[in-house]
Amino acid sequence: MTAYLVAVGIVALIYMLLTIGLNLQYGYTGLINFGVVAFFAIGAYTSALLALHGWWLVPAFGVATVVAAIVAYPIGLLSLRLSDEYLAVVTLGFSEVVRIAIQQEEWLTKGVQGLPGIPRMFAFMGVGGDADVAILAVLVACNVAVIGLMLHLVRSPYGRLIQAIRDDEVAVEAMGKDPRRLKVQVFMLGAGLAGLAGAFYAHFITYLSPDQFLPLVTFYVWIAMIIGGTGRTTGAVAGSLLLLVFLEGSRFARDWVPGVSEVQMASVRLALVGLGLVLFTLYRPQGLMGSRR
Amino acid sequence: MSAPGRVRASRNHAGVLLAASGVNKHFGGFKVLDDVSFEVGAGRLVGIVGTNGAGKSTLFAVVSGRLDSDAGSVTFAGDDITRLDPVRRARLGLGRTFQVPREFAHLTVRENFLVAAHCEYGETLRSVFGGWRRVDREQRALRERADGWIEFLGLMHVAGEPAGSLSGGQKKLLELGRMLMTEPRCILLDEPFAGVNPVLVEQISQCIRDLNATRGIAFVVIEHHLTALKALVQHLYVMDRGRVIADGDPASVLAQPRVLEAYMGGVI
Repeated sequence: MTAYLVAVGIVALIYMLLTIGLNLQYGYTGLINFGVVAFFAIGAYTSALLALHGWWLVPAFGVATVVAAIVAYPIGLLSLRLSDEYLAVVTLGFSEVVRIAIQQEEWLTKGVQGLPGIPRMFAFMGVGGDADVAILAVLVACNVAVIGLMLHLVRSPYGRLIQAIRDDEVAVEAMGKDPRRLKVQVFMLGAGLAGLAGAFYAHFITYLSPDQFLPLVTFYVWIAMIIGGTGRTTGAVAGSLLLLVFLEGSRFARDWVPGVSEVQMASVRLALVGLGLVLFTLYRPQGLMGSRR
Repeated sequence: MSAPGRVRASRNHAGVLLAASGVNKHFGGFKVLDDVSFEVGAGRLVGIVGTNGAGKSTLFAVVSGRLDSDAGSVTFAGDDITRLDPVRRARLGLGRTFQVPREFAHLTVRENFLVAAHCEYGETLRSVFGGWRRVDREQRALRERADGWIEFLGLMHVAGEPAGSLSGGQKKLLELGRMLMTEPRCILLDEPFAGVNPVLVEQISQCIRDLNATRGIAFVVIEHHLTALKALVQHLYVMDRGRVIADGDPASVLAQPRVLEAYMGGVI
């Protein structure tokens, strides 16, 4: 049971990084990113491939973060020209392009067969047990550092300006401030965090395949942000934890619902997540950590 | 009540600060601005009136760079700014407010003022990671300046409140205050008295007069509240169906039969 809880905690903390990144993009700056999973996948594959070529994990993680951020640059530039709805469609389309590219470029990614044998973090400590606890500890430290940085960022003049861009970009321009540079930077920062989360994922799961990077992952990250409270770093933390509690808790729902197969239960879980989201937006639209203004 | 900061040593009433010449704007087949020209002298108070749909706000949008004109030119302080974007025009000192206030609803009133200020280092990404003392110094100075304007505009009691919770009139003052933080030479005010109670109308008028007198800031004011506008501005333009149909001193312009016919349907 402890091993199971540690594994769930690791996944929750990976989702936390993704949610904090999305919250920076959407919650604080108003940039709709429906392609979170693309940057997650880019980070995961970059770090995995580098590690398989003998790189140490720390520099591989760094490169994964930077590559995801760099790939976000042209998408960030697009965000300057597109209104919210179109940016949503473009980023969603981009995530599918990345997934299909991973699927097709077998010479690099081994396509649908997947990429096995990715070096595990703390492999010298064995598999599971202490090694997983160590991964959990590193993720906790990483999340604490990212949360601290994020709290500092949003209280800084830089953070104040990105929140002003979210509230009214036209008014920001009327004051002689150019929102374009900041929007691209924020898009890249959020994507970099997703890339870092991807690197953690790759070296925890040790096997990557394109079907792990479906738009469903993006959907989960959005849910975590919404139920936690958009525009709140603490909301991203609470939302990602609650999401994992809900996803994992609903696994046990099968015991209470007789006559539902494992496959059917997967769909039921998804429906339950959707229902939870609907109920949250109806009865607590500001999210868990948000306050009504 | 007096505007904070230094008083300008001299004011040049003779020089033209802002001018639009032969401005045209179409939306599809509909001509919204038809050969519109106007001038605003440095340190002057100018009004623009006209019925709804006369093209006043579109004229502001063109002058501030929010919309491109189809023809004509706009100059500011002698420079042709026709092709400049709104950001560059604002940096030159041409500010504007909006008909429907565009406050940063989730930021406090003080933060709204601070966002508007020119912040050389604090608003760069690298300031998040280092140089925090420099940011602190910069912010302390800006906060002092912001509080000066907040006090001047009578918003100190709501300085820590989210801007979204302000009344309509307070939001108008907030927008004006934000513009003041940008140190403008000319401010375009789009219906500053709309939906504002009479006491606040007088307060806003007094602020504008005071700023004009002590800082030499020129104002161009679109307004339907004719009594308040007549008492405020020195020169008035009247627009009708995208054209300027009259201009001059407010009392005589508003007495012209053509203006009465166009603006008030001849009922007065």
